[in-house]
Amino acid sequence: MSAILDVQNVSKRFGGLTAVKNVSFSLAPGELTGILGPNGAGKTTLFNLLTGFIPADSGSIRFEGQELRGLAPYKIVNRGVARTFQLTRPFLGMTVLQNVIVACLSPRARDAHDKEARAQQLLDQVGLGAKAGDAVETLPYGDLRRLEIARALATKPNLLLLDEPFAGLGSSEIEPLAQLIRRLHREQNLTILLIEHKLREFMALVSRVIAIDFGEIIAVAAPADIVRDPRVIEAYIGRTEAEHAPA
Amino acid sequence: MTRVSLIDLAGAIVVVAVLALTPMLLNSNYLTGVLTVCAIYAIWAASWDFMSGLTGRENFGHSLFIGAGAYTAGFLATVWFANPWYSLPAAVVIAVAFSLIVGFPTLRLRGPYFALAMLTASAIMQRLCLIFWEYSGGEEGLYGLEPLILSPLHYYWFVLAVLVAAVAILTALANSHWGLLLRAIRGDEATCQAAGINVTFYKMASLMISAAFAGLGGALYAHYQLQVSPPLFSVVVSITVIIMVYVGGIGSIYGPAMGAILLTLLTEMLRGFGEYRLWIYTLTLMLILFFLPNGLIAPLWRRLAERLR
Repeated sequence: MSAILDVQNVSKRFGGLTAVKNVSFSLAPGELTGILGPNGAGKTTLFNLLTGFIPADSGSIRFEGQELRGLAPYKIVNRGVARTFQLTRPFLGMTVLQNVIVACLSPRARDAHDKEARAQQLLDQVGLGAKAGDAVETLPYGDLRRLEIARALATKPNLLLLDEPFAGLGSSEIEPLAQLIRRLHREQNLTILLIEHKLREFMALVSRVIAIDFGEIIAVAAPADIVRDPRVIEAYIGRTEAEHAPA
Repeated sequence: MTRVSLIDLAGAIVVVAVLALTPMLLNSNYLTGVLTVCAIYAIWAASWDFMSGLTGRENFGHSLFIGAGAYTAGFLATVWFANPWYSLPAAVVIAVAFSLIVGFPTLRLRGPYFALAMLTASAIMQRLCLIFWEYSGGEEGLYGLEPLILSPLHYYWFVLAVLVAAVAILTALANSHWGLLLRAIRGDEATCQAAGINVTFYKMASLMISAAFAGLGGALYAHYQLQVSPPLFSVVVSITVIIMVYVGGIGSIYGPAMGAILLTLLTEMLRGFGEYRLWIYTLTLMLILFFLPNGLIAPLWRRLAERLR
């Protein structure tokens, strides 16, 4: 099966710092992959390169056979690549439903004629249906993450990029959110790429891990094998052993 | 989505009826003239609010569109001796063209570029009117425009009808999904991009709509004054409009329109105070903005409507 996303030699420099260096990987359709790396390894920068929020210096990013590099972020979304933000960014002063309606107005969601009904359906899907009429400011952090996912789903993605979906969540919120991601992956056959620096949530969720450090890919392996890779242990687990020991 | 409620509709009808009937009862050409200017400023304030109030991208040179519309009317009348009614569509077209020239390069950028470009463009146009005085009439401006409608009272009603139509159209747009998108842009452009929204397109389109109504108001003003002059492009006009919007309640469309009417009336009523009127006017503004940072009209009406419900 050909890759849905094919990233070749992508690099990004900020002044003297190389944030992402010659990164190449590809995702098979329907794959649930994780990018692992300590804080500052270049994970979020890589996400921003893939989604056009930051232009890449070199390399190519091909999605479903077409080059994404150089496209504006909203165009990439309309090709079928949606993302969430690590720091959730809802539209303040609106209801939860209105937040999702905005994404239902994107060209890719054109065929949903009743935007309200479509937005409500998406909120039901992520478990926020009962809070549709609430002011978005009243949502707890875990619900904001779900809202981010609903907004991303509104644009009908074929590839969903989740930027640290578990960061800052309490242990009671993590497992239900992991279940939601698993369900989306299974029921919609969605290709999902997620960033995480906590191993525990990650391992049970993804089928393949791409480990990066200092902007470079240092290992690609199944979750069970990645923790035995000496480069990963040196770069990652060796440094923050106490906090991130695998479950 | 929010819909215009019966109470809002009833309030609007009462206000429009009072505005329409007042000059009949008092039968004063002076008052009719003042109310005409009130209604034109209201068109300018509502049109400013549609773009800048909803998207949060402040436009510090609304006078660019106002002046463009007015001078379009002026040139049509004095150079081509055209039927004065052609002024209105022509003013709309030229004002929209100016919005494209300034908006296209600057609205794709974040930061203050758009605000500064609008400010600069209006200042440049004011200077150009003086530099090319052979064509523009310099300081004197252009004279000899024909009135659209001879009777001042009938012209006032016409302008009032344009105002009502403008507020109705802009309110309908602001309450639609379109308005929701514009408010989302005010909230967070990056999130809009992540939602697949072409932010630049929507900002540009809303600026064009804003410019169209401002230019229309400019032409109406030109055919009321029967002359146009460079101060129409001045920063003072732009700032006056912005103050009217803030006093009325930014982002509500009807609030800024009412704010414009009230402040224009206030200016006229204070004429009797001679030199002191600037003091009183400025002090009133400062008190309103200090104690009512969300404006006067829109929050007051919302509270009243809540009570009546």
